[in-house]
Amino acid sequence: MTTDDDQPIEDFRATARAWLAATELPVAPLDLDTRFAVLRQWQKTLYEAGWLGIAWSKEAGGQGLSHLHQLAFVEELARAGAPPPIGLIGLEVVGPSIDRYGTDSQRRELLPRLLSGEEIWCQGFSEPDAGSDLASLRTRAVVAGDEFVVSGQKVWTSWAHKAQRCALLVRTDTTVRKQAGISYLLVDMSTEGITTRPIEQMTGDQEFCEVFFDEVRVPRSNLLGNVNEGWAITSHTLGSERAAATLRRRVECEVALSDALTELSARLVATGASDVQDLGRRTTALGRCYTALRALEGQTRQTISRLTDEVGPSPLDSVDKLLLNDVEQTVFAEITRLLGPLRAVPDSRPLGLRSDRWAHEHLFSRAASIYGGSSQIQRNIVAERLLGLPRG
Amino acid sequence: MADDSAQYDRAVDEYLTRDYDGDRRRTMLRSGGWQPELAAELADLGWYALAVPEAQDGLGGSLSDVGGIFVQSGRHLLVGPLLENVLLPALLQRPGDWDLAVAIPNAVKAGVPLALVDPGIAADWSHDVGSIVMTGNRLDGSVAAVRFADQASLLVVIADSDTGSVVCLVDPDEDGVHIEALSSADPAIALARVELSGVRSDAIVPVGSDDSDLITRIRAWSRLFIACELTGLAQGSLEVTVNYLKQREQFDRPIGSFQALKHIAADMHTRWAGLHNLCLAALTDADSATPTEFDILAMSAKAHAAETAVAVCEDAIQLHGGIGFTTEREVSWFYKRALALRAWYGDELELHRKIGAALLFRESSPDRDRDINDAVASKATIASQFKETPA
Repeated sequence: MTTDDDQPIEDFRATARAWLAATELPVAPLDLDTRFAVLRQWQKTLYEAGWLGIAWSKEAGGQGLSHLHQLAFVEELARAGAPPPIGLIGLEVVGPSIDRYGTDSQRRELLPRLLSGEEIWCQGFSEPDAGSDLASLRTRAVVAGDEFVVSGQKVWTSWAHKAQRCALLVRTDTTVRKQAGISYLLVDMSTEGITTRPIEQMTGDQEFCEVFFDEVRVPRSNLLGNVNEGWAITSHTLGSERAAATLRRRVECEVALSDALTELSARLVATGASDVQDLGRRTTALGRCYTALRALEGQTRQTISRLTDEVGPSPLDSVDKLLLNDVEQTVFAEITRLLGPLRAVPDSRPLGLRSDRWAHEHLFSRAASIYGGSSQIQRNIVAERLLGLPRG
Repeated sequence: MADDSAQYDRAVDEYLTRDYDGDRRRTMLRSGGWQPELAAELADLGWYALAVPEAQDGLGGSLSDVGGIFVQSGRHLLVGPLLENVLLPALLQRPGDWDLAVAIPNAVKAGVPLALVDPGIAADWSHDVGSIVMTGNRLDGSVAAVRFADQASLLVVIADSDTGSVVCLVDPDEDGVHIEALSSADPAIALARVELSGVRSDAIVPVGSDDSDLITRIRAWSRLFIACELTGLAQGSLEVTVNYLKQREQFDRPIGSFQALKHIAADMHTRWAGLHNLCLAALTDADSATPTEFDILAMSAKAHAAETAVAVCEDAIQLHGGIGFTTEREVSWFYKRALALRAWYGDELELHRKIGAALLFRESSPDRDRDINDAVASKATIASQFKETPA
């Protein structure tokens, strides 16, 4: 790929589209281990072709283009029906923070391997007693010479059992306001004292883990930013990269609706008039999904124009997230409602729809309003910081 | 044109904030929806001329530029025939329309209403709404609810005929035209029943044999502008509610500090934002979309507006408590308007079904880029089944 900094977005988009059309796209299997391997290889392919870290600095192994170029590629990737690369936590959440707050040597050492998928990252944020109230986290890190000694437990840590690195939030000061005593460590998962235990999710996947830290020794050079300044990095991490995730998810929902439409329509064409007794249910569901997606698309346009002017967390991110979650849950709920009683039979194809695929996607969509800050937390942010209602 | 659009939007907002507030607005909302001096004032300000071609002394804007004034109209609870007087002069551009029907320039310059006599305001109630048929050159039939028919100087009638659907311009004083004023539950709109008995269809303008493209455009733009108006209603009711939550105190603190109320307000904002941005995107895409795409886009906007605006207005009343149930605060006016507009040109139930059917037709067609109507023709067996789809 040859690009320069001010390459027009539409040219860039056309190049991406042409590359995707000429490339063999992987099919992500439902089985988790195979999926992980296939998508990791896919990440390597994308990296070698220059499609990852598009908005990152060149020193970090990126392409040095703008945020809008990045968003355009995310959109084209999803539109082509290609799966996202496996290392999304690294690519969308951890990597941008290292690129912004890391030392030169951290950027040089960590980011190229993060981009290529050679190293998979997990995110050690939530704890059993620190979910929505993340700042109350209790995993301790004590300074001992040139090292931090870490003890505690993390939970809901996606891909921890497959990851080589962990972005870990730890408490380094217990005497100050809770947000002011948190540090951000970059931890090698092969370090002695780390134990991971997968948790089965309701989708059947075992992507989540519990992670236990028992006097784990982390070199001081693996601190991101300064001691006790981890909360600001976390806010940056959770806020500013959400747009890429929102945009990707929006297009994934569009692709889902288009796939459902194809499956429904193939059945109709094949069976003709004998299969139309309940068409009203199908058309109503499709119309509702389509309408919801138009609202999300309108919102996304507004978000993109906002991001060209300002970078950094905004209460408007919370509006985007609430709307996205509502729309994706609507889309998958409406599609799976068309499975009727045969939702209970994964190998069936009611009305032409693949029962197992849609049921899996629907269950997954229920997580959307929980992860990355639950909808209730987002509503507090919208009410207080956007509408100016008084704190309770 | 985006600059024009923002400029119109601001000017309309400023005018309504300054000259259409408090007592004046309240009086007008109690007046049955028709205020000749206000309509004349808006005509003087040039509002009805915004999307009229310059050759006809208009400002030559596109319809997509004026969506914002419908948002403001909803937000400020404006009464009167804004939709008819903005949309119809802009779209009635067949040869002869303006020269022969002097009512059209009068509507633009003096604010005398035009009325759209359209049996197609809602498919699910077609039996109750009525129908109009053109046989030879005579019009017969009735429409149970027509906005501003009793005040209009011209009826724009949509009728079925052997050759297709047609648009006829009819003088309300013509023999055989019966207009019966009705009481209206929409505080901003006057309503009447219109009956035509053997009315000459070429009373003013000779009709063509098939105006279906024009009719599609009239209905699609009506949907989008009503969606914009509903967006404004949602915005207005959200704004007064947020203010009320900050001012009203119970248990020695502003009620807006209670999370149970805060979350409802946050949801109202989020739903309004999605609707508003959907309408803006539809307006932006209107000029470049194919007629079929625009039709679906407008239906999506109207469907989402119908559902969202009503829900936001209901939350607004709930958050106001007892005073929300009275006419002393604006929230009840917003709600009544939203309810009245919800099913005009289709509510979400009717439109979701229509959109879904259009998507399935397109998908079932061998050539997905073709017009839906072609696709329907090529899949006649499936198409006939779609038409029979139960509600």
